Order: sequence, then structure tokens, then C-alpha cells
Amino acid sequence: MSSSHSELVSGLQQLFQKYPAKRSSIIPLLQEVQGHYGYISAPAVDAMADYLGVSASEIYGVASFYTQFKFTPPGKYVIQICQGTACHVRASSIILEALREELKIEPGHTTPDGLFTLERVACVGCCALAPVMAINGKVYAQMTQDKVCEVIKEYRQKEENKVGKEK
Amino acid sequence: MNVVIDGKTIEAIKGETILECALRNGISIPHLCTHPALPPFGACRICIVEVEGMRGYPTSCSTPIAEGMVIHTQTEALRLLRRNILGLMMLEHPSACLVCERRELCDKYRPKSEKVGATTGCHTCNNKEVCEVRELSADLGLAEIMVAPKYHYKPVERSEPFIDRDLNLCILCGRCVRICKLHQGKSVIDFVHRSSQTHIGQAFGKNLHEAGCTFCGSCVDVCPTGTLSDRYAKWFGRPDAEIKTTCIYCDEACALTIYAVNNKAVMAKGLYDHLPVCVLGHFAIPEFLNSPNRLRTPQIRVNKVLRPVTSEETVQRCAELLKNYTGTSFAFICDTSSTLEDRHVFKKFTQEVMQSPYYFEIIPDKKGYAKVANIPEEVKAVITTGLFIPQEYRNRFEVVIALDIFPSEWTKSADVVYPVATFAETSGTVLDRNNQLRPLVKACNPPGEALPEWSVIQQIAKTISENWKEYTSVEDISRELGFDSAKLNLDRSSAPPASQNLKERREWFKGHCMENYVTGLVAVRNFEEGNPHEEKTSIKIEVNIPENPEHFTVLSRRELVPNTYEFVIYAPAIARKASPGQFVIVMVDESSERIPYSLSDWDENKGTITLVIQEKGLSSRKMISVMEGERLAHVVGPLGTAFEIKQYGTIAILGGCYGIGAVVRLSRALREKGNKVIVISEARSHYMAYYEKELTAVSDRFIQTTIDASSGEKGHAIDGLKRLLQAGEKIDLIVAVGCPFMMMITANETRDTGIKAVCALNPIMLDGTGMCGACRISVGGETKFACVDGPFFDAHQVDWDEVRDRREAYSAEEIQAISFTMPSTTIQGEHHYHQCSCMGRG
Repeated sequence: MSSSHSELVSGLQQLFQKYPAKRSSIIPLLQEVQGHYGYISAPAVDAMADYLGVSASEIYGVASFYTQFKFTPPGKYVIQICQGTACHVRASSIILEALREELKIEPGHTTPDGLFTLERVACVGCCALAPVMAINGKVYAQMTQDKVCEVIKEYRQKEENKVGKEK
Repeated sequence: MNVVIDGKTIEAIKGETILECALRNGISIPHLCTHPALPPFGACRICIVEVEGMRGYPTSCSTPIAEGMVIHTQTEALRLLRRNILGLMMLEHPSACLVCERRELCDKYRPKSEKVGATTGCHTCNNKEVCEVRELSADLGLAEIMVAPKYHYKPVERSEPFIDRDLNLCILCGRCVRICKLHQGKSVIDFVHRSSQTHIGQAFGKNLHEAGCTFCGSCVDVCPTGTLSDRYAKWFGRPDAEIKTTCIYCDEACALTIYAVNNKAVMAKGLYDHLPVCVLGHFAIPEFLNSPNRLRTPQIRVNKVLRPVTSEETVQRCAELLKNYTGTSFAFICDTSSTLEDRHVFKKFTQEVMQSPYYFEIIPDKKGYAKVANIPEEVKAVITTGLFIPQEYRNRFEVVIALDIFPSEWTKSADVVYPVATFAETSGTVLDRNNQLRPLVKACNPPGEALPEWSVIQQIAKTISENWKEYTSVEDISRELGFDSAKLNLDRSSAPPASQNLKERREWFKGHCMENYVTGLVAVRNFEEGNPHEEKTSIKIEVNIPENPEHFTVLSRRELVPNTYEFVIYAPAIARKASPGQFVIVMVDESSERIPYSLSDWDENKGTITLVIQEKGLSSRKMISVMEGERLAHVVGPLGTAFEIKQYGTIAILGGCYGIGAVVRLSRALREKGNKVIVISEARSHYMAYYEKELTAVSDRFIQTTIDASSGEKGHAIDGLKRLLQAGEKIDLIVAVGCPFMMMITANETRDTGIKAVCALNPIMLDGTGMCGACRISVGGETKFACVDGPFFDAHQVDWDEVRDRREAYSAEEIQAISFTMPSTTIQGEHHYHQCSCMGRG
């Protein structure tokens, strides 16, 4: 067993302690793990299965039922496209389409370079600014196809500069 | 407690459900997800009833019965609701056959299901003969599918040990998940994902072994559809015998039911719903007993070579050989896999006939061997009932008589080899680990001339000694031993469940490594050693076809619809010579069967031929496993008499299954000759229809028919034709290409029209040039060879029953050939599934 694996397991065990080792703790534990690691990994599910005394398949069954749980590490920047009513009537679908083309990924997925994750969300809570996009919580208002592409380019540029400096 | 069900006052038992109470009193309520071994679940809602004073329609399987309930189980509202619930369920299950108007005719013409890769209808479903969904659908009068059904395009899982899983047939009743939880404590499998994507699976798509499966097989036992199947048993059809017996693979001595077809064991299950058996008890019995390697004929050494001889000669030779070895120079070596009756005879033979004290019942070591050190040096002649002595000790013995089930170095160097019956092939009594007597009951016949061990030894005893008191049956011996067979206790319902620890499984039986004869155990071992999925990394993503490919290179391969593949093969000589209606014979590798396939199309300029191929057994499975860029060993053609291309007038071409692909070039040629060509293509459902564009392009009119009416007109191709005729279309010639059933109904239902009908026959074929006669058929009372006289014949003159019977001539061998777990390196079609054309549709 690699040291990173045993570190992971001991980290998880600490997280688990707050919750009783019962089947009813599955969802709170999943939320705890995702909150801490950003996603639900296979070793995390195995550790939960050991702790709760249920099978990994049952935990995976619960986790895969809810869209809130992710099974792949999120990108550095999580892009949320609002699909709420106000954004919807102001054509958020076009924004989403533009991002799909720009990033070449489907909603729920992460770019191969690990930089961006694209997500659909139901409402960000600022309908007056519709259609909106949020990147790691920062809200971009009244988006258009061109504007979202601009924003993505800015983020890419920022990353390239960083890499350049490190070199 | 009194209740009223359908107007009848009934005494109910406190704690039972409405369904249990009704069934106990002979009132049937249709139900599906519930199972006697499982607690109430209420998933399918088929078992709904009306209870006066209760709101809505409670599920009878999960509603506890209560005093004074007035229950109605058969109201019109319930019938309609149940039918609609089943109808909705059938939208995600291959259901066209359930609503087919020729269902009875189909069952009559082909009562056994046909073995395929992906099942898309009842007649190609391993579960056909025992299907609960089929029964329910008939009971509820399901007659139509409301909207186009959805096919999930899930790859059929065939590389797990012992268990095949086709999730496209799953109705999500959850029985497998629940029985797994009940038998294993935690469910190795569960419902994963949600809504229309919900399916049964393991965490993170792990394989069953990684997920903790012990292959107890309980999930297979409770599955009401063909989704989960015992790979070995699946195509043998409904068993004709069920025998309750005891497992003798280890001394847990679990109670088993062995199922047999034609005196051949094909399947085993635990006797009790609540007690899982182990992997060996469930899956390792039929394949082990039916192994093609079994010893079948007695052999004696003649001029240093073992030769098969009669049993009399063999026994005579044994007597001669043993004559000079009475007393301490003789030993008998057996183990506890022989019954107590067998061992009684062995011991008696050793002591009374051979007058030797050396009778050994060995306890095998980890490699299945006896402790040879215990056999005294003075022993020069032995009788063994298994592979108990390492070969390096062979030279210690001057005479070796081997009673055995499998050949080995030991039998090969023996003086006499006698094949014997074992396990379910014989009767007797065994002892379990608690020293309880358990009955072993004969369930199937031993192979060839094999006999029970006691009877072989008795024959030798009789030949050597006049004083041997003969036993006429096993019961005779049991009586002498004081066993009262009537009192032998098969009831083990209160025993603990079999050990589910895969690592503790017994590996040796009579000194033979079980893995050598049970292919699924090799798969288990591979999973344990952590190298099960070589194929995952061997998937070819990019295929480079060279500019000048070798002959018979596969240039393209795509799955057109489930179980049906299109191959474009480089074969310039065939492409130059081919004419419409001809076929080729393909050998996938140098040792393959020769299989005929119709030429769908070809391109003289590119030097390519196109074939449309269905998986229908081992050889076609090998064929569809060939990937782009790979080469076939041989393609012979063009063969057969070409269709005469001339002016006929208006021609209706009917295509079904592979026949849809087979008529492309024919249709084009006939049309170019000035005929009016109407192509009618039949499919079970919309997801089975293919080549619409190709056939529209080569016909004057293209009609699609589907049995469930999900695309185009409802019915078979013949129904489309009948509608044309009714509408006044004048047809001069009918051409039907498809399975024998489709061609037969076309023939039968056009007989009275006076229109000439021809069909393309597809019997078993060997050389394809008229030499062997394997493809002979009767047309108008005359024997014809389909390969050279055909493939086209007058459909009204063909003896269709003979066509069917001759196609099924080797079905037992064909089933045997695919009943094994195949090494993923040789058969890997399914792992390339996601490369096929349907990618993304699922």
C-alpha cells in the first residue's frame, strides 16, 4: 500500500468519525468527502464501505443518483452556467453551447488539461444579471457568446503567464 | 382473522401479505418483482389490488393483510392498469415478440431459442422457455407497445467468470440486488445512476470479482428475464429432469438440485432459496462432468500401446495381471470422493479377493496427491481411483490398474484404464463433516462406457474369485452396510450456508485440478491474480489500412444493429467475378469452420466485397470478433448459382435479419434491367432496422415493416406485401431472403396468390461446391444441393420442416461449443463494442 493511499485512508477516517457508522450516514459522508476532496474517488468509497459496513456498490448507487456528486477531480476553474428561469429566457442555452464548443467538453466534464470543469446549475441567485456564468464563485453578468469566449481566453492567458514565470 | 378476496371469505394468517394469503388460497394475482426467497419490495407494481376503504391501488406483495379486509384482485380497472404497467416496462426490454401476431406459429416452428450474442427477441433469448415476463404478458393480454421502445446498446458482458449479463433485457426488478444482499450480507451489485440511465452495476464499473462477488450464482437463479444467465446452461433450454442430490466436492455436502437435459447434467443450484451454495456447487458440476476430455472407453496395454477394447477383455486382463500379486504386494488406493458403497466394495475386494491388508483411503495433500511414504515398498501392483501418485513413483509398481475420470500421465502409463462414473452420474451414500449420512442420487448418464466404480471392481472380483458374493445394485451394498436409504436425510434447510470464501475453494477432485476442466475457474484465477482485463489495453483505437492490403483483410467493420455486423473485405478476385445472389464461404482462421455468407454488395474497382453477418454461434462469434485491419484465413467464392437477371415485371423483394443486407445488389441489378422493384424490409423493432438509405437507393419503392409498429408499417414483410396486393399492385415475382421462419411464412401466405415466390436457402454447408451433400434439401420432392443448385429455390416447393430439422442437426454440439468461458484474448468482440457504429446512441 502506497503512503499516499494510507494518508488518504487516515484522512478519510478522521472525516468519518463525526458520523455514526450506519447506513443512514451515506449521504452526509459523501457530502463531507466531496467538500474536502472536491470529488468522490473509488478509494474513498471503499473506505466508506468499510466504515459503514455496506457495499461499495450501494454507496456508488446512492452517489450516482445525485448529480451533486462528482466522480472525477474538478478542474482548477469550475464554470457554472445558470439554467434557471430568468437565464433560460435570456438564452443561457446559447452560452452553454458556446462554452461546449470553446472547451470541447460536455457539461459535467473536465478539460483534459484539468483547467476547466463545465457545470449546469439551476440558479445562481442574481436573476437581474441574466444570463450569468460563475467561475469559482465569481459571477459574470449578462453574458453573450463572444463575452464567454473572451473570459475563457483571459483565464487561459493568466495560466500561460504563470507557467512562463515558473520557467 | 377473516378477509374477503374476490367475494370469497378466507381465513388469513396474521403477518402475511395480501399476496401470500391469496396465493396460499389458490387465488392468483399476477406479480413479477416479488420472489418467495425475498422480503417484500413493491418495485414493479404488477401485483396491485383494490382494497375497500383504502385509497388507490396498494401492492399486494407489500401490504400486510388485516382483519375484515375486502379485496378485489380482478377488476377491469386493475387489468387495464397492470397491462399498462407491463407495457411501460416493456419499453426498455426487447418486447416485439410479445406483441407479434405470429407468436404461436413462431413457437411451433422453432420451440427452442436460437443462440446469439445480443438478444433482441424471444426466439433468441436463453430464458425463452422459462420466462416470467412472457407468461405475464400472455396473462395480461399485452397486445401493443404504446410508443417506440428504447434499446440501451449496453455491451453484453461475457468475460466475467460463469455469468453472462445482458443489461438490455433488464427490467430493474431488483431481485438480483436483493438476493445478493440477503445471501452475502452486502450487495455486490446495486442500482446505479438514475432515471432512464439506471442499471444494475458495480461501483465505478469494477468487475464482479473486484466488487467482491463470490460467484454463488444466486442472482442468476432469481432473475426473471434473460439478463443474468449461467453461461454453461443458457442455451440448453428447459431441463427435462430435476434431481435432488448432495454435492461431493467437499464435505460440507450441500443439498443441490441438478437439472438435466437428455440425461446430461446442464445446471446445478442450491436446493434452498435461503442458502447460497459456493462457486463449485453452482457452476463447476456440469462443465466438469461433461468435459470432452473425459475417459470414455476401457483400454489395455497391447505391445506397449494403450488400445481401446471391450469391457470383458479389460476385466479379463485385470484378473490376469493381478493373479501374481495377492497378499502384501497389492494395494488399493482411493479417496473419499468415492461413495461409501464403492469403498466398501474396494475394501472387501482388497481383503477377501487380493488378501492384502493395504487398503488406503487417502487424504490428498495440497496438490491432490496421496502420502506415498505410507505405501509400503513391497507393494508392486495397485488399483487407483484417481490421480493420487506423483509420476516419479510410477516405476515402483509393476502393475497399475487405473480407474479414472480424466486421462493423465498416470493413466497413460497404466496397464489398464477403466473409465468410471462419478458424482451426479452415480448413486450411493456419502458422509458429511458432521458424520451424517447423505444420499448421492444419480442425475445423469456417465460418458461412453464408464461404469460406477464398485461395479468395475466387482467384475474383476468375480473373474478372479468364484466365492465373490455378487451385488445386484447399489441398494444391495447399502443394505449390507446397514444404511436405510429411506431414512437418509436430504433435508439440510437448517444447515449453515456454504463457505463463500473463494480462496478456500477445493481445487482438486480425484487428484485432477478442476481448473483444467472448468474454464470459468481459470477466469476466477485470472481475476485473483489481477490480470483479467488485458483486453482493455489491447483495444485498437486507430487502424491503419495499408494502401495495398493483403487479400481478405477486413477494411471496415461496423455493428449495424444489435448482433448484426457489416464487413467490407478486400477480395478483388471475388469482386471481379461476383453476380447477384451468390455467396462466399469464410474461414476466420486455419482451424475454423467453413461458414457461408451471402454477398451483400461488392466493388469491382476497389476490389472489395461486403457481407452482413449475424452472431449465431461459435463461428460467427469468431467472425464478428475480427477487427478492422485483421485478415481472414480464407474467403472462397463467388459460390452458388446467380439469380437470373432478366425482365420479370414488378418484383417484391422481402428481406429480414441478415437478408436485408443480402438483397442490396440483387435489387439494384433487377432494377437496372428495367424491372419495377419494391423492397420490403422487416425488423422486430425500429432499432433493428438498417440499410434504409441503401435499399431506398436501389429500389423503386422501399417499405419498412416492424413487428411492434415502432417504425413504418406493422407486421412482417409479408404483411407489407399483402397490403400491396390488396391495394391492387400487380406483382410478378416475390423474392424472400431471411431466416427460414420468415421465408416459410412468406411461402405459406403467398401460396394461393398464384405469384411465383423464390427464397434463398441457408442450410448447413461444408465445401460449397456440391461434393459433401451437407446442404441437401427437398424441393418439390426432389433432393437439391443448396450450394450449387441454389441458393434460390421455388419457395412454394420447399420442405420447410426439413430445412429446420437439418439446420438443427448439430445443435447439441453447437451449444456445447459456446458453453465455455472463452479466454478474452481469442474472443474479444464485445470489448470492441464501443468502437461500433452505435456509439453514442445508447
